[in-house]
Amino acid sequence: MDTCKSISVIERRIDIQFERYSLPNGLRVILSRDPSAPVVGVNLWYNVGSRNERPGRTGFAHLFEHMMFQGSANVPEMAHFSLIEHVGGSLNGSTWLDRTNYYETLPAHYLELGLWLESDRLGWLLPAMTQQKLDNQRDVVKNERRWRVDNQPYGDWDERLQEMMYPEDHPYHHSVIGSMEDLDAASLEDVERFFRTYYAPNNAVLSIVGDFDDANARALVDKYFGEIPHGPDVPPIPGRTKIPARLDGEVRATVEQDISLARVYQAYRTPAYGSDDFYAALVAAAVLANGRAALLYRTLVRDRQLAQDVVAYTFPIVVGASMMVVWATARPSAQIEKVEQALTEQVQSLASVNDEDVERAIAMIVAQQLSSLQTVDERADQLSMYTTIFDDPGRINTELRRVRAVRTDDVRSFAREYLRTDNRAVLSYVPKAGS
Amino acid sequence: MIDRSKPPEPGTLREYVFPAVERRHLASGITLLTSQSGALPLVTVRAVLDAGAGAEREEEQGIAWLTASALDGGTTRRTGDELAWELERLGAQLTTWITWDALHVQFTTRSDHLDEALGLLAEIVRQPAFPPREVERMREEQLAEMLRKSTEPRALADDCAAHFIFADDATYGRPLIGVRERVKTFDAAAVRTFHTRRFTAGNCAVIVVGAVDAAAVEERVQHAFGDWDGAREAPPEPRTTARPDRTTVYLVDRASAVQSELRIGHVGLPRHHADYYPLLLLNAIVAGAFTSRLNLSLREKHGFTYGVRSNFSFRRGAGPFVIQTAVASDVTARAVQETINELDRLLTDGVTAEEVRAAGDFIAGTLPLEMQTTEQLTARIADLHTFELPTDYFSSYREQIRAVTHADVMRVAHEHLHMNRLAIVVVGNAASVENDLRALNVGPLVKQA
Repeated sequence: MDTCKSISVIERRIDIQFERYSLPNGLRVILSRDPSAPVVGVNLWYNVGSRNERPGRTGFAHLFEHMMFQGSANVPEMAHFSLIEHVGGSLNGSTWLDRTNYYETLPAHYLELGLWLESDRLGWLLPAMTQQKLDNQRDVVKNERRWRVDNQPYGDWDERLQEMMYPEDHPYHHSVIGSMEDLDAASLEDVERFFRTYYAPNNAVLSIVGDFDDANARALVDKYFGEIPHGPDVPPIPGRTKIPARLDGEVRATVEQDISLARVYQAYRTPAYGSDDFYAALVAAAVLANGRAALLYRTLVRDRQLAQDVVAYTFPIVVGASMMVVWATARPSAQIEKVEQALTEQVQSLASVNDEDVERAIAMIVAQQLSSLQTVDERADQLSMYTTIFDDPGRINTELRRVRAVRTDDVRSFAREYLRTDNRAVLSYVPKAGS
Repeated sequence: MIDRSKPPEPGTLREYVFPAVERRHLASGITLLTSQSGALPLVTVRAVLDAGAGAEREEEQGIAWLTASALDGGTTRRTGDELAWELERLGAQLTTWITWDALHVQFTTRSDHLDEALGLLAEIVRQPAFPPREVERMREEQLAEMLRKSTEPRALADDCAAHFIFADDATYGRPLIGVRERVKTFDAAAVRTFHTRRFTAGNCAVIVVGAVDAAAVEERVQHAFGDWDGAREAPPEPRTTARPDRTTVYLVDRASAVQSELRIGHVGLPRHHADYYPLLLLNAIVAGAFTSRLNLSLREKHGFTYGVRSNFSFRRGAGPFVIQTAVASDVTARAVQETINELDRLLTDGVTAEEVRAAGDFIAGTLPLEMQTTEQLTARIADLHTFELPTDYFSSYREQIRAVTHADVMRVAHEHLHMNRLAIVVVGNAASVENDLRALNVGPLVKQA
């Protein structure tokens, strides 16, 4: 079968229609109507994440996200959750290095409810903030850290890799979840300052996707968001944001943990999301571990039986430089050194990768992206993302062209340039003696 | 200025119409389920075999898992690697997995490749090669996965919950992945024996969902699956005896733990039970939604946890009812006590009419949100097959949910929550939680290293 041709047939048919406009207060709005089912996704991206945290307040952007669910001037405590769940909607939020998002998926006739809730906390959060709510959510977040990181095998891998890969004064040096100590230090004044600095319409994107009447949606957005004032200019990201896309030497660490299977992580520094080389990195990672015909699966797992599982992906992050992370969990019979060596060999073999591998990788990325566009919530999130990062919601239709434009030679040069031992961190987890 | 003081009224309701599902019984014995849906040119194909862990014989525990993995090892026409290439050149990835009630084989691809897709699906299901080297590799991976789970607190707690809720001879008391002593003896021949016995046309449903012409699918499935036959053979009746005859604390020591994984529950009910719908509402009120009683108490009031959830696992036989959460070590006993108090309060003081209405709206309303993709819809249709539900089930589901009354919820709460027979499973640091747990005096404490 002629893969590339057949995949491109579908791709040409992705044509997500949308309208984009801005309110006078700076809020960017994307409307994308799809009446095929009476559901609607409401999604807000705020251009703030853990990268914006000041020293001594790691984890704060995420703790703040929790506070956004604690009610606002007109929304009583817990009402944000109950109003949405009780009409058959779903909701959540998440914080990452570069951004914080909030979203709900609702029966279409409850669009106005979603806009009322989102606008109230963007405009009038502070009157509802109390020390008791902050203390409660601090405890919740500390338990989230225990659950995700401290009580979980390999749970601190990203925290450790970030520390190894980024200099201390770079905003990606610390993790999104932050330290227990810094979470303890967070105060109501921090909440107020963070809100006034970053939570303004001019630092946000609102996307609405699904079954709505266009004029009505515009009128509702205007009604609920129009009177929120433009905020002050957002301060630059703190710390040293410009770093080269290359490390100057390998960094290594080994951690003993209460685990059964050893695992080795390798992180390679790469150019940031959006750069041309980034797409080569995306394809390189898919060549390595996306699917069962992927290079690492067929060599380390299927043929040599050194690894239990293999993973590779590139972080879509924008400040200075990104990283491609590759890992393999060792089979009980395999020495971790052997696994690492095999991993390195395969990663470096991308310098002479063949067309077939690259075409397969691109087909996998394209198919997964297409499949993801089936839900209104995912389309809304992607429209918000492309607008926040590139000021271009149209990337939802064109991004795959950038992936498809990657040639075998691009992956080879990417590998030669970046997938080098002097441009990486290696983090190994080994079972604690006696465990 | 606009009036923001009250939530806005809803707009005009547009009733959700569930995608139509067609069911046909083919001459071969295969059940075909189709649904034409989706704006993108995609199709999901799935085979559902009555070859889940519930279909294993005593000496075979773990073979269904291994069989599902080994389907990936190639067919009589191509090696595992060639099979992966065939699919992935099209961007399709084969996934195979089991539940207690079925074995599933699925991938999603371009809808105009339906014939190739059905051909490959049939080949994977009917003609697996089970090469010894691949089967042995997957057996070793399965054993390694068991090892991994033994030091991963969430998986360990799930396995311990099943073990302590059910009696030793119960079907559901051990993990789906099987038990080490048996799995390490499995070879390609054992897999082939299970495959021959359970993979018959009569034990198979084929589900096709996406941008395809449903009317034309039947002939194409018939063509792809050819002369397959074999009658339907019901799996053995699951045994679901409970372990504790009184509320018991089971403490599993994990010295490195900084948090306790809690599982509190008992034997629940089978999918086919007259109280199914009221139980869904009861569960939403207990801890099945964010705004449930337990989440509001343990998370939003006390800050003991990142979250708490509950679930009735509805299977052919009575699966477990489990409340699960993870709490800081120093509040472990308090969290257990608070959970018991909330359940007691619910039984003594009752739930409110508003809670019942809200739970019903939540369950009925969120169903369409979980049916947006071809794969999500396929999963729902697989349940229709497994539990022999009618094809208009989804629309009747909402009516059934909305028909549940306050009295129904309270009746099933009293009938089906067993406060005096709880298994309270704690996977945590025994040195820091044991004394507090003993002091609770909720029942005997059984400790396991």
